[in-house]
Parts: sequence; C-alpha cells; structure tokens
Amino acid sequence: MSIFAAAFGFGLVSMSVIALAAVGFTMQFGITNMINLAYGQVMISSAYVAYYINRAGVTIWVGMIAGAVFGAVFSFLLNRLVYAPFQRKGTSHLGMVIVSLAVSLMLANLLLPIVGYFSVSYQEHAGSLVRLGDIVLTNNQIAIIVLSLAVMLGIHALLRYTRLGKAMRATAANPMLARNCGIPTQRVIDMVWLITGALCGLAGVVAALNSDSFVIASGAGFLITALAAAVLGGAGQPYGAMIGAVIIGLVTELSAAAWSPEYKEVVAFGILVLVMVLRPQGLLAKRGALAAAG
Amino acid sequence: MNTYYAANLLIYAGVDIIAVLALNLQFGVSGIVNFSFIVFQAAGAYAAAVLSMPPHTAADYSFQVYVGGYQLPFPIPWIGGALAGALLAIPVGLVVLRKLRSDYQAIALLVTSIIANTVINNARPFLNGAAGLALVPQPLENQVDTGTDNYLYLYIGLTAVCVGLVWFLAARIVNSPYGRTLRAMREHELAATALGKNPVALKMTMFIVGGAIAGLSGAILVGFLTVWAPSTWLYPETIILFAALIVGGRGNNLGAILGALLVPVGFEEVTRQLIRMNIGPPNLIPALEWVAIGLFILGFLWFRPEGVRPEPHRIFEGSPEAELVEHVRTA
Repeated sequence: MSIFAAAFGFGLVSMSVIALAAVGFTMQFGITNMINLAYGQVMISSAYVAYYINRAGVTIWVGMIAGAVFGAVFSFLLNRLVYAPFQRKGTSHLGMVIVSLAVSLMLANLLLPIVGYFSVSYQEHAGSLVRLGDIVLTNNQIAIIVLSLAVMLGIHALLRYTRLGKAMRATAANPMLARNCGIPTQRVIDMVWLITGALCGLAGVVAALNSDSFVIASGAGFLITALAAAVLGGAGQPYGAMIGAVIIGLVTELSAAAWSPEYKEVVAFGILVLVMVLRPQGLLAKRGALAAAG
Repeated sequence: MNTYYAANLLIYAGVDIIAVLALNLQFGVSGIVNFSFIVFQAAGAYAAAVLSMPPHTAADYSFQVYVGGYQLPFPIPWIGGALAGALLAIPVGLVVLRKLRSDYQAIALLVTSIIANTVINNARPFLNGAAGLALVPQPLENQVDTGTDNYLYLYIGLTAVCVGLVWFLAARIVNSPYGRTLRAMREHELAATALGKNPVALKMTMFIVGGAIAGLSGAILVGFLTVWAPSTWLYPETIILFAALIVGGRGNNLGAILGALLVPVGFEEVTRQLIRMNIGPPNLIPALEWVAIGLFILGFLWFRPEGVRPEPHRIFEGSPEAELVEHVRTA
C-alpha cells in the first residue's frame, strides 16, 4: 500500500500546482469571457523567465516572483493589444478561440529559437525529506503546497471581502449592468488579467519546478490539466476549479502509481470526457462566485 | 527543379485541397470548429498503411510493430482510409457535438487532438509508437514500377481524380437545400432548430463526411510518402488548414481551394527556398513560418475576415422581385 500513500503525497503536490493554473484560467473565462488557449504557453514562457534568472545563480523562489510578474504583465498586454481589440470589433466567441490558438502558436515558435529544443531544469536543491507516515515529500514540495493553499485563501478573500472582488463578480454576472452601476469594468478587467496572469506565471514556474525537466512543448500538457480541472469544476467558477484540481491531481497521481506515468494527461482527458458526457456544465453549475458568461 | 520535385508539389497541393474542402464543409459551412481535423487525416493514413502492409512478422518489416497487415491491393487501402476517418468521427462526434456549447466543442476537440497524439506516441505495439510506420507499400506497386517518372504521373492522376470527386461532392452539398440548412444552422442554430431542423444530426453528418474525406487525404499522403509517424500530425497542422480556410474564404469551395494553394503549399515553398539560402541558425525559419501563419490568421481576421474570396451572397431566385428581397448575408 505504501506506493499509493506515496502517490497520495504526490497527488497533494499535483493538485496544488493544478489549482494555481486552473483558477487563473477559469477566472479569465468567467470574468472576461475569453477562453485563452495561449494560457499554457504563457505558463511555459514564465517558467523560462524563471529559468534564466535561476541560471544566473539566483534561487528559484526569487525566479518564481519574476515569473509571476512576467505572467501578469504579459497577460495584461496580450489582452490590451490583441484580445480586447478583437472583442471590441465584435469577433465571435469561436473567432476568439481561434485568435487565442494562433497567439499560442506564435508564442511557442517565437520562444523556440531563443530557448532551444533541449529540455532544461531548475538548479535548486530539492531540500531535505519530510516523512509523514508513508508519505515522503521534499521541503520544496511542501513549500509548493503551502504556497498554493495561501494563494487559494488569497483568492477567496479577494472575491469575498474586497471591493475589487465584488466588482469582479458583478462584471462576470453582467458587464453592462455592472457598468451602469458605476463599476469601472474596463479597469476591473485590466486587474483580472494582471491577477490571473500572475497566477498563470506562478503556476508555470511551480509546474516546471515540480517536473524533472521541461521544454516548450510542455505548455500543451499544462493547458490540458488546467482545462480539465476548470471544466470539471464548471468553467468560470474559481471554487469549482479548486475542487477540479483536487480531483484531477489525486486521480492522475494514483493512476500513475497503479498504471503508467506516461498516461497522466490521458487520465485527465478521460475525466474531461466523462464530465462532458455526464455533466457538461461542470460540478458547480448553479453555485459559485462567478457564472460563466455567454 | 526536377520531375520528383514538381510531383511532390502537385500531390501535396491535391492532398491539401482535399483536406481544406473537408474542413470547409465542417467549419466554413456548418460552423463546427474541428480542432482535431488532423487526427482524422492521421486515422486514414494509418488505416491505409496497415491495410496495405504485410504483417509485422514479415522479413523486412520486423523492426516495427503494428496491428493488421493485410496486404490488400489498391484501391482498398484508400477506401479503408476514408472509412477509418468516418468511423472515428462517430464516437468523437457523439461525445463532443451533442450537448456541448460550440466553444466547449472547440476546446474539447483541441484536447482530443493533443491526447490522441500522446497515446499513439506512447503505445508502441498499436502503431509502432513515436517511430511510426515505414516502408508502406505504394499503390499498384506490384503492377507498375514505382521508381519511374511515369509512376509519378500516375500518382498525380490518381490524386487529381480524388480532388475531382471530393470537389464534386462538396459542391453538391454546398449548393443543395441541405447546404442551405447547414448555413442556416451556422448563422443561427436556435432559429434553424425552431424551423424543425435537427442541429445534432446535421453536425454529426458533416463530422462523418468530413472525417471520411480527411481520411482519404491521409491515405493519399501515406501512399506517396511511404512513412507516417505521430510527429507528422501534431495539432498545429490543423491550424495551418484553418489558416488556409480563413485566408482563402470560409463557406465556399473556391475560397477553400485558393486557401489551400496559398497557405500550406505556398508557405511550404517559400520556407524551402528560405532554408536553401541558409539564413540564421537552423530551425529559425521553420519556427518563423509558424509565427507567420499565426500572423496571417490574426491579420485576416482583423482586416478581411471573409477571406480573399468571400462567400457569395445568396439570393432566393424564386422570388419575383429578387432585388427587393433583403440580401441574406452569409459571410
């Protein structure tokens, strides 16, 4: 049984990583009505920003902050310069999906000549081992879990107890009505892209840290797990994405222990298919802070 | 510039035209954003390969493992490729097209494309994994010497016949009352439903027809290349076809053909010439090619969303005063 206990430990780490990614993705969709398929690519770009800082001899925890800042600024600019103009022009929902996929493709191939084709990894000592019964985790992994928990509590506090969070929920529910109530929706949406972009960047660095090595192509895998968690929870619902992350994280790691780690993403995909057949609206369809628009 | 090079160009053009015509039926006419289109082409290619190859225990083939190996004569592998595309479309369509909103459909199909590639890549006993299939027999290779120029002309001819058949079929669908129903669904699904049309059945049909045509294009390609591997059908290949359709003009077959000639064929050629000039580090030009394709998509969606050849405005000719009837804008 100890292999499953160990897998449970990895599941805790995995769900922490997925939650960071999925909550950012689902908030972008819920509040700005944008399915941002470039999300995985922004994650991996942020991971590379942290990689170059790390390679200069700086600890990865500082690199993580740089990755988050890069993710925030990049996502903000991406929306301001590409997505928002297309949305203002009246491009359809599906048109926007194609736009974001084109952006994702361009981003990956602009990065490729710069960072190269070979897989890289952070130079960071994994830290000493911590044992909790059969569960063995490194200090780094525990730091990831704590970080993710703190961020989730932060998101909860933001949405529940701040004026900005309230304005975000109002914008998600009905942008026109929110504007008529005097909420500066444009500024709210800018803030959403900065916050979710920071989550995206942070998630990218954490996901890269948690895997042995990464390449540009890892971005697609990051996107799939985030998508699976977001859709499972109900797209646009931050709390749903957290629940989705817990389920996907646990199930993929347990299946990796029982079966083969090569098929982690396939298992996530299997869950996605089941959700789409049985409950397309996701687990939290009627509840949650943010209703999916459209 | 030799015969092989020219033949290569023509056969690729034919395969791309067939593929973009199929994607036009799905995306351009019916509004299905099939981001896993390339998977259906791959299914056709794999099916045609294993139908024509000998069993993997045969002397020259023992370095690879795969299912099947039936050594069937031409044209059965090509028909089988089309069938494989159609058969694969049924389960995928049943999961994706029934309940989901259209944007969910798009991301579900994108994820399907990535996962299908991962699975085939990792599961070696099924279709030889990442290494892919090699030494796929060419059509009619027992009857004709495949090393000659005449065989290239024959292959171009076979491809051209398929292009003609697919174009004829696509034209029949686009210009028929059925095509009108599809366009109605694309423009306003709820209104089409209210008129008694069943959008799920319409989409499923176009998904299967498009899947069959995609499978045929894969079969033609694998017969010419004689190799097929997961690296040839990564999901960005679908985006090239979407770029072709957006550039050429969605919803009309001429636009689709124009797009196929401009984007996949044109780009491939320009890239080949640029690579020959040895500009910058290796792999810089192919990477920039993808960036250019992304820019083409964004540029056309911004400046000319209807494409180079827009879908013609269709007017109901039965009306006595056709000019007075409000032009139904279908672009």
